[in-house]
Amino acid sequence: MKFKFFILLNLYFLFIQNTLAQSEIVTTLNFIPKFGNAALILNDSTYPKNNGDSIKIESLKFYISNIEFLNNDKVIWQEKNSFHLVDASSATSMKIKLVIPPNITCNKIRFNLGIDSLVNVSGVLGGDLDPTKGMYWTWQSGYINFKLEGKSKKCKTRNNEFHFHLGGYQTPYSALQSITLNINNPEKISVVIDLQKLMNEIDLSKQNKIMSPSSEAVFLSKKISQLFSIK
Amino acid sequence: MKKKLLIFIFCGFCLVAFKLQETIFFTEPINWPKANYDFSKNPLSAQKIELGRALFYEPMLSRNNTISCASCHSQYTAFTHVDHDLSHGIDDRIGTRNSPALMNLAWHKLFMWDGAINHLDVQSLAPINHPDEMDEKIESVVTKLQKSKIYPGLFKKAFGDTVITGEYTLKAISQYMLTLVSANSKYDSVMRKQSTFTAQEKNGYNLFKKNCSSCHKEPLFTNLEFENNGLALDKSLNDFGRMKVTKKNSDSLKFKVPTLRNVEFSYPYMHDGRYKRLSDVLKHYTEKIQTSPTLAKQLQKPIILSSNEKVDLIAFLLTLTDKEFIFNPKFSYPKNIFLPKPQE
Ligand code: HEC
Ligand code: HEC
Repeated sequence: MKFKFFILLNLYFLFIQNTLAQSEIVTTLNFIPKFGNAALILNDSTYPKNNGDSIKIESLKFYISNIEFLNNDKVIWQEKNSFHLVDASSATSMKIKLVIPPNITCNKIRFNLGIDSLVNVSGVLGGDLDPTKGMYWTWQSGYINFKLEGKSKKCKTRNNEFHFHLGGYQTPYSALQSITLNINNPEKISVVIDLQKLMNEIDLSKQNKIMSPSSEAVFLSKKISQLFSIK
Repeated sequence: MKKKLLIFIFCGFCLVAFKLQETIFFTEPINWPKANYDFSKNPLSAQKIELGRALFYEPMLSRNNTISCASCHSQYTAFTHVDHDLSHGIDDRIGTRNSPALMNLAWHKLFMWDGAINHLDVQSLAPINHPDEMDEKIESVVTKLQKSKIYPGLFKKAFGDTVITGEYTLKAISQYMLTLVSANSKYDSVMRKQSTFTAQEKNGYNLFKKNCSSCHKEPLFTNLEFENNGLALDKSLNDFGRMKVTKKNSDSLKFKVPTLRNVEFSYPYMHDGRYKRLSDVLKHYTEKIQTSPTLAKQLQKPIILSSNEKVDLIAFLLTLTDKEFIFNPKFSYPKNIFLPKPQE
C-alpha cells in the first residue's frame, strides 16, 4: 500500500515538473550595435566622427551579466548564472536567450555592463567567462568589461589603431555599470547601443589607448552605460 | 529496520571515503593556519594533479614550444630559477623580476612580487602571455594541446571531457601547484619535537624571532603582506612594487614578503635577485637599510648582529631546507607521460 502511494507521489511530481518546464517561455534579448543611424559593420564601413575624423571599428565585445526583470522597482525574475559575452563578430552572441516564466508583468529590465567584483576574485571560470575568450587581463587579474578597437587617422599610433579595454573591479577604479531600461513586455527586447555618441566625446589624437583599470576607464564606462536604449 | 541501518552505515562510509579521497592529496600540516584556496571550487583528484604536472613541464605553453613553467621554476632549486637574477624567458629575453620559489601556495592570497594576481587559478595566464616569458596566448595553447597526441586523453581522464578549455587547463596547473607543500625541514621536526636544534641553530632561531619573524612569520615564514624592507631602488628597473597595482603612494617600494623555507636554494635573493648569498642579505639588514617614507617600522631602528650572531642566524635559516620537498619524485618531470614507453 505504502509502496503504491510512493509511486503515485513520484508520478505526480514528475507531472508537475513537466508541466512547469513546458510552460516556461524563451525570450530574446537582442543587442544591436549602431553608429548613429547606420548599422555597425566590423572592419568594413568607415564612420564619420564629429571633428572631421572618420573611423573603422574592428572589434566590439562586452559582458552583460546579472539580467533581471523588474516591476515597479521590484525584482520579479533573475537569470541564474547570468554571464554573457556579446561579440559584434558573432551574430548568435548578440541574441541572448532567456528562459522566463509565462505571463510575468514587468516594466523594466536591469543588467550589468561588465563582471562584478565577486566573480573577479573567484579564479578561473568556464563558458563565456573562460580566459580563452580574450576578455581577461593576464598581467593583473581581472575581466575586461568592454573592448572596443579600431582605426583612425587621428591616432598617431602603430597602424593608427585605438584600443579601449575597459574594466577594473577594485575601488576607486571599479568600472562595472548597472543599466536599467523601460520595457513594455519581456517577450522580445531589442537594445540599441549607439557608438557614435561615445566616439564624438573622445578626441582620438589625445586618447586612444586604455588597457588597465584607471579613472579614465571608469569615466568612459559611465559614458558607455548611457549608450544603451530600447529600440 | 536492520536494512535501514545498513544503508545508513553504507552512506556514512561513502561520505568518509569521499572526504578521504580529497584529503589524501592535500593536508594542512599540524599547527598551520587554514589554507586560503577554496578547494570546493576545484576538488583535487589524482588525474587532475597528474595533468597539471604534465602542463607545468610542457613547453607547448610557450610561443615556440621551448619554455615551460619549470624553465623558470625548477624543483631542485625550490621551484625558482637556477642562478639568474632576473628571469630568463623565450628567445633568451630577460624579464624585470626574479622568479620566486614556489611552495605552500594554497595559503597565499595574492601572487607576484606586487600582488597583481588575485587567484592561483589565473596565475599561469601571466607568464604564458608575457612577451619576455612564454609570449603565447591561452587560446593557442588550448589549440595546441587539443591537437597533441597525449593531452585529449589526459583531459578526458581528468575532467571527463576531450574538449580542452582554458578553465580546465588552468585548474589542472593549480592542482599541481597546490600539492607543492614544504613542511618537512629540520625546523619542522624540531617543532614536532622529533629532533633538536644545535646550540648554534637555537641561538639563530632566537635572533630570528627577535629580528625577522614579524614579516617572515612562522610557520609559512612569510606573513603574506607587502612590506618595504629598505632595499635601495634600482634605477635601471624603477620597480616600485605594490604601488603599480594599487596606485597608492603608501605602497611605494613594497614587495610581497617571500617565504624563507628552502632559502638555501632560492638564491639569488630579493625581487631583482640582487644578492647572491645569505651573508649579503644579512649585510643588507644590518648595514644597508634605506630610509624612505614607506620603510617598515620594524626596520627603522638598526638591526645589530655580531659576526658570530650572523653565522648562527644563517645556521638557523639552513634548518628550513626540506630535502624531501626538493627531491620528491611526485613533483618532478613526469617521464611516464612524456617519454615513449620502452618496447616489450
Ligand atoms: C620566464 C620565466 C618564467 C616562466 C616561464 C614562468 N614563470 Fe612563474 N614567475 C616568474 C617570475 C619572474 C615571477 C615573479 C613575477 C612578478 O612578481 O612580477 C613568477 C611568479 C610566479 C608565481 C607567483 C609566486 C608568488 O609567491 O607570488 C607563480 C605561482 C608562478 N610564477 C607559477 C608559474 C607557472 C604555473 C608557470 C607556467 C605556466 C610559470 N610560472 C612560468 C618567472 C617565470
Ligand atoms: C619589515 C618586514 C621584514 C623584516 C623585519 C625582515 N624581512 Fe626579509 N624580506 C622582506 C621583504 C618585503 C622581502 C622581499 C623584498 C624585495 O625583494 O623587494 C624580504 C626578503 C628576504 C630574503 C630574500 C628571500 C628570497 O627568496 O628572495 C631573505 C633571505 C630575508 N628577507 C631574510 C630576512 C632576515 C634574516 C631577516 C631578519 C634579520 C628579515 N628578512 C627581516 C621583509 C622583511
